Amino acid sequence: MRWFETPNIDFVGKRKAAYTISAILFIASLGAIFTKGLQYGIDFRGGKEFVYKFDQPVNTTDIRDMLTDPLGSTPEVKLFGSETEILIRTDNESSTDEVQTAIETAFAQNLQGNGFEDEKSDSIGPRFAEDLKSAAAQSVIYAIVIIFIYILIRFRKWTFSAGAVTALLHDVVITLGIFTILNDLVPFSLLIDQNIIAAFLTIVGYSLNDTVVVFDRIRENSIVHKGMEYAPMVNKSLNDTLSRTVITSLTTLFVVLVLFIFGGEVLKGLSFALIIGVVLGTYSSLFVASPLVLELDKRAK
Amino acid sequence: MQGNGFKIGVIVAFLALTLYYLYPTIIWNLEQKQMAELSDTELAEYKSENMEKLQSLRENILSLGLDLQGGMHVTLEVGTPQLIVELAGQNKDEQLEDVVRVARERADANETDFVDEMLAEFEARDPNARLSRYYRSEADDITRRSTNEEIVAYLKTQRDAALDRAIEIIRTRVDRFGVTEPSIVKQGESRIVVELPGVDDEERVRGLLKGTARLEFRTGPDAQDFANFRNRAIEFYNVEADTSDSLSLNAGPSNELVNLMSFVQYPYIFGYASAEDTAAVMDLVTAPDIVRMLPRNTELLWAAYPLRGQEGPDQFALYGVHTEAELTGEVIESASIQFDPTTNAPEVAMGMNNDGARTWSRVTGANIGKPIAIVLDDYVVSYPNVETKISGGNSTITGLDGVEEAEDLVNILMSGALPAPLQIIEERTVGATLGAESIQAGLQSVLFGLVVVAIFMIVYYRAGGAVADLALLLNIIFILGILAGFHATLTLPGMAGIVLTIGMAVDANVLIFDRIREEQRGGKTMRAAISSGYANAMSAIIDANVTTGFVAIILMSFGVGPIKGFAVTLLAGIVCSLFSAIVITRVVIDYLTRNNADAISFG
Repeated sequence: MRWFETPNIDFVGKRKAAYTISAILFIASLGAIFTKGLQYGIDFRGGKEFVYKFDQPVNTTDIRDMLTDPLGSTPEVKLFGSETEILIRTDNESSTDEVQTAIETAFAQNLQGNGFEDEKSDSIGPRFAEDLKSAAAQSVIYAIVIIFIYILIRFRKWTFSAGAVTALLHDVVITLGIFTILNDLVPFSLLIDQNIIAAFLTIVGYSLNDTVVVFDRIRENSIVHKGMEYAPMVNKSLNDTLSRTVITSLTTLFVVLVLFIFGGEVLKGLSFALIIGVVLGTYSSLFVASPLVLELDKRAK
Repeated sequence: MQGNGFKIGVIVAFLALTLYYLYPTIIWNLEQKQMAELSDTELAEYKSENMEKLQSLRENILSLGLDLQGGMHVTLEVGTPQLIVELAGQNKDEQLEDVVRVARERADANETDFVDEMLAEFEARDPNARLSRYYRSEADDITRRSTNEEIVAYLKTQRDAALDRAIEIIRTRVDRFGVTEPSIVKQGESRIVVELPGVDDEERVRGLLKGTARLEFRTGPDAQDFANFRNRAIEFYNVEADTSDSLSLNAGPSNELVNLMSFVQYPYIFGYASAEDTAAVMDLVTAPDIVRMLPRNTELLWAAYPLRGQEGPDQFALYGVHTEAELTGEVIESASIQFDPTTNAPEVAMGMNNDGARTWSRVTGANIGKPIAIVLDDYVVSYPNVETKISGGNSTITGLDGVEEAEDLVNILMSGALPAPLQIIEERTVGATLGAESIQAGLQSVLFGLVVVAIFMIVYYRAGGAVADLALLLNIIFILGILAGFHATLTLPGMAGIVLTIGMAVDANVLIFDRIREEQRGGKTMRAAISSGYANAMSAIIDANVTTGFVAIILMSFGVGPIKGFAVTLLAGIVCSLFSAIVITRVVIDYLTRNNADAISFG
């Protein structure tokens, strides 16, 4: 089987259209992030989270209502993978023991005959959350800086570094935007927590992987085809590597889909971020990173 | 083909090493399966017979993270500000408290050291003021004339010591909680991370970790009375056992207590039991009939540490001590290690304040030749004999079994003097059920991911794809082997990392195979195409993996727990996939094409 054996797609020629799409997505994402704010999980904002498993299915609205009073504020209540499992998220600052007792008392009173047990509980203090948040931000920044420097050393041209890093920012910001917009709309949690940061960094690594392979080919072609103009050469490089780009993206997409479907509720957010990341990463290395190098190169000259 | 002998050697060696590291895990799982079929009594027997084997397996298996086996992860913080205020003792005033409050806010906001912020704030208010007005301590050489820098250094040492004490206290408590493989580690300057696999009695653990230590000195009961009590208690179970067993065919003498404990003649020790039997022993000796036999004002308390220098399973002593404390830990002013000038044996020197010294002198005077128990949180830490009446408050505890015991004792004595306020700032608990479900989900994902990718590769690249699949399979074995070899922990995100690696590991082969096809299109023969395909794809492969590797390393240094597990597997995956995709596939392809280059197809 052979796909895209000798493709001749005019990526470079379509870059204006791609820029428009990217710009719209990027601005929409920034808009969502600034108006709604990043939706942090308790890792980064502090709070408590409990997962309970019941013997019989429960209604999240009922649970929310019966807990509002004892907890002193309306908790977030979502299903956790099945009809009988729920996740409760509260900002109540009492001790975990007290909060847990309050929740369990409310269950015992309101859900008679429906047994339950706690499956998971997380409690993060506000100061600890602050620390985690700054460590996460630092690691994302370090990753981007180190990648910029590595590409600079490897390809000896700042335009490559700038192209790659812009593509990364593009991917990360749009993924963040999608998370922000979709959090209230999907039945699973898309809050930004440690897992999501891990996913982001993986996206950074993956998207870069794609980009670097194309860059590598540009470098090779610029030696082999010395007389060729820059724009067609970039386009040829994209086409030369297209088959590989598509195949690797597909296999990776397969596995992250598998992870999303079979990985369980705990990994939903992480695998969702990876799905978006793989799609965006492939798109951005074809339509953002390399065309941008071309653009920057023209300017520089 | 040339030079492939070496490559094959490396592959075989690597595979052998991997299997060597995975061997305990495989055997352990088989043992577990076998043991699950045994009845309780058979199981207990099997366990005690194979204790050493099981123990050594347990230490070398690929361990599962708390998110997979269930358990608690707790981060505690020593309240440095409270500690600093308390250290000032009676010298503290409103100004100090205010400085501490401001410094705390600033340290939080700027992520700076609290003690440094405190000095800055203090000096900002009055450049000539001296911290020595709050902190004077003869024992630590802090006088009125000490500079602020000296005081800051002193406070930092005190903070570090408080953290060490807190760790020591937590360790003694956790050890008694019966957790397999607890982990208690220091993190940064004021934090302690405690991991308790398999524990989900959250409320109890929280209380255990947070509560301040209660250190007491208690005298023992009358030796004769206690010895009588012990004999009667043993006898009691003799009788009980006889009547209850009278109907069974097995009418031999059986005594539950004697089965669980071993006894010695020392008058203050009821007996010894192994850690796993302590709960059962407690059930027996707290039975109302037995409690009634106890000498007046006496109770039974376990030793905090197992008997030292003992072979076989850890043995804990059960002591008889008075219920009322003669003195509590607050009276202790200093505790330090010293060495006997003649024998060089480690000893602990302990100093008390005036109030304490007065009581101490009376208590020791009345108990010459008898032991006094040092009790921490209802566990007996040490039970030294009083040799003479001690006036002036300076005592020496001798007969210790090594420097380690001396260090532990110093830490514990000081914990009574200066309780370090501990606060839980992070807590994550996963129930065993959810853990088991996660393992299931993780395994399924790995399996399905593998199958989908493997099929796709064969469909797309034919024989080449099959070779890549072989490399992929070995790759996963390598990753697991590396994790086991480095004693890394497998977490759920770690399993996600493996799944992701499956998708990305074929990338190197995709690059190579595509290149081979391309070279063929350019008119090269198969053999030449393979050769230049590998050569030309190399730089792209290296670049792509190095960048991803950077990301994994950054994640590893930032992440904790599960995320670190993700980063570790990702990194192991990158290294292994490079090896398997470049070296292994090459060797296999060379072998397949040894006679006829066209024997292989890349689709």
